[in-house]
Amino acid sequence: MLVLQALVNGLLLGGLYACIAVGFSLIWGVMNLINLAHGSFVLVGAYVTATLNQAFGLDPFVTIPVSGAALFIIGYVIQRGLINLVLARSVFATLIFTFGLNMLLVNLLLLVFTADVRGITVSYGGLGWQFGPVRVPYTRAAVFGVAVLLTAGLAIFTNCTRLGAAIKATSFDVDAARLVGIDVDHIYATTFAIGAAMAGMAGSLIAVVLAFSPVTGDSFTMKAFVVVVLGGLGSIPGALAAGIILGIVDDLSSVLLDPGYRDAISFGVLLLVLVVSPRGLFGKRFYAEIQA
Amino acid sequence: MPKSRLEGGAALRRAVVVALFLATIAGGIVLDNYWLRSLTEVFLIAAIAQSINIIAGFTGYAAFGQVVFFGLGNYATAIAMTRLDMPFIAGALLGSVVCAGFALVCGWPLFRLKGHYFAIATLGLNGAVQAIVSNWASLTQGGAGISLPLPPGNVLGNARLFYAAFLALMWASVVVVWLLNRTRFGFACRAIRADEEAASAAGINPLLYKTSAWMVSAVLAGWVGSVYAYWQSYIEPSVAFDMDIAVRGFVILLLGGPGSVFGPVIAAFVFQLTSIVVWSYLLTFHLGLMGLLIMAAVLFLPEQSGWTNIRAALAARASAALPAFARR
Repeated sequence: MLVLQALVNGLLLGGLYACIAVGFSLIWGVMNLINLAHGSFVLVGAYVTATLNQAFGLDPFVTIPVSGAALFIIGYVIQRGLINLVLARSVFATLIFTFGLNMLLVNLLLLVFTADVRGITVSYGGLGWQFGPVRVPYTRAAVFGVAVLLTAGLAIFTNCTRLGAAIKATSFDVDAARLVGIDVDHIYATTFAIGAAMAGMAGSLIAVVLAFSPVTGDSFTMKAFVVVVLGGLGSIPGALAAGIILGIVDDLSSVLLDPGYRDAISFGVLLLVLVVSPRGLFGKRFYAEIQA
Repeated sequence: MPKSRLEGGAALRRAVVVALFLATIAGGIVLDNYWLRSLTEVFLIAAIAQSINIIAGFTGYAAFGQVVFFGLGNYATAIAMTRLDMPFIAGALLGSVVCAGFALVCGWPLFRLKGHYFAIATLGLNGAVQAIVSNWASLTQGGAGISLPLPPGNVLGNARLFYAAFLALMWASVVVVWLLNRTRFGFACRAIRADEEAASAAGINPLLYKTSAWMVSAVLAGWVGSVYAYWQSYIEPSVAFDMDIAVRGFVILLLGGPGSVFGPVIAAFVFQLTSIVVWSYLLTFHLGLMGLLIMAAVLFLPEQSGWTNIRAALAARASAALPAFARR
């Protein structure tokens, strides 16, 4: 029975993982940048929600657009002012650059919000459905639903709008995009802003279901890594499937093995997929980074 | 004329190396405890940067999670000394075997990956090993950490002992990279970095050289870890596998110039001493300051760079000042 409950919990948390990962995947896929500060963006969103909830008693779900907008602006500025300057550099230069950015953000969060572990309790937090032995809290179900909607929204945006088409065009061929009149710098900054906004909105959802503190961001970045690699870089349906798989694997491993081995299992999945099928489950053949 | 200037540069470089060598030895005798400790940290991070230099600078593979070998060295030595009652040297040798073996076993599958994928695979490797070490309490005592036997001697004597040990490791790492720079093996590695397919067409077996290079760099990082464990006499997973160590190594390598023999050592002095001086003023912001320093290092230093680049720029300026017929 514990296993059945773990399956449901994993599934519900998996939607959230997918929502965190699609922003990360978008940024990586379009500008070939691994943003190690992604987890901190998630946390900024969580703190926006926690602060609004504490100060004005706003329901966490109502604050989602606020954290999305805040992170969109922060993301645009950070890309234009900093990231854009290092995009042309080598893999390890951009990796340590975003690592440094992450250290800065973590320290700023520590200064503003202290190292206390936070969480939000809502009035309907204890309520839920009971299906036989399995319990589904309203909050977890709502978080899953919103996360899936946001993820689907991103898919619709990239596939059905002019801006989305411009982003895709830029990711396929920068020079050709420039030739047809796309302002590549603006597209890069917008893409980064959208990725950050997705992280921020996911952060609002995390505030409802998980406890967080300024140093927990790295675990979200690692989840995003695993989901993107497993689902295939640039694939949104892949990220959704991979997020749910990871959520279920995570929860099952804590029930069947020991909760401490959760991370080992996540990293194990990451390595296994990289070695066996670097394109992931649904990924297209991307760039020349993988040898045939 | 150009030849003599080149020889002049080499002689100057040799003089700087010899002077620094003598100064670091003299430092061990005259410095007090605080500065011994600060410089010991400089030597430590310089050796780590050189270990990364072998795999990332020469061979072109950004082993971002290189700290995994530092951590394995830590734990192999600690377990050997506390559980098997081995002397330190035996523990460190065991650490070398573990690190070389681990690089060999992981190199074979992981070197099929390139660029970002290789980098995150090594990051995943470090995360996986850290998680296993944290949970395998019957062997590693998990998050509680391991206390090692204290080295014999008084405080100042020990400070000098570990100063000397890390100094030796740093110079050993310089010698390894220097050898790499002038042997067939090093040429093969650089050929792989420049163009793997062309190297392979020229008869170099990329997998063999990449894995060997990684094993050498792993053993180096493992030794640093072994001595570190004995120095600190207490280790825990979150410190032994701390990504900050790898990242600082990468920053220093970037400052010193990837693939350069001596640049990373100078850069380690500059970076580490700067950070020690600056953040004694800012206790609540040292993490953020470190982040800013790292970002500034990447932003303001063009790649393939550091000292080699500054030297090239100076040479170009000097050459521009000469009349046209005398230029190279």
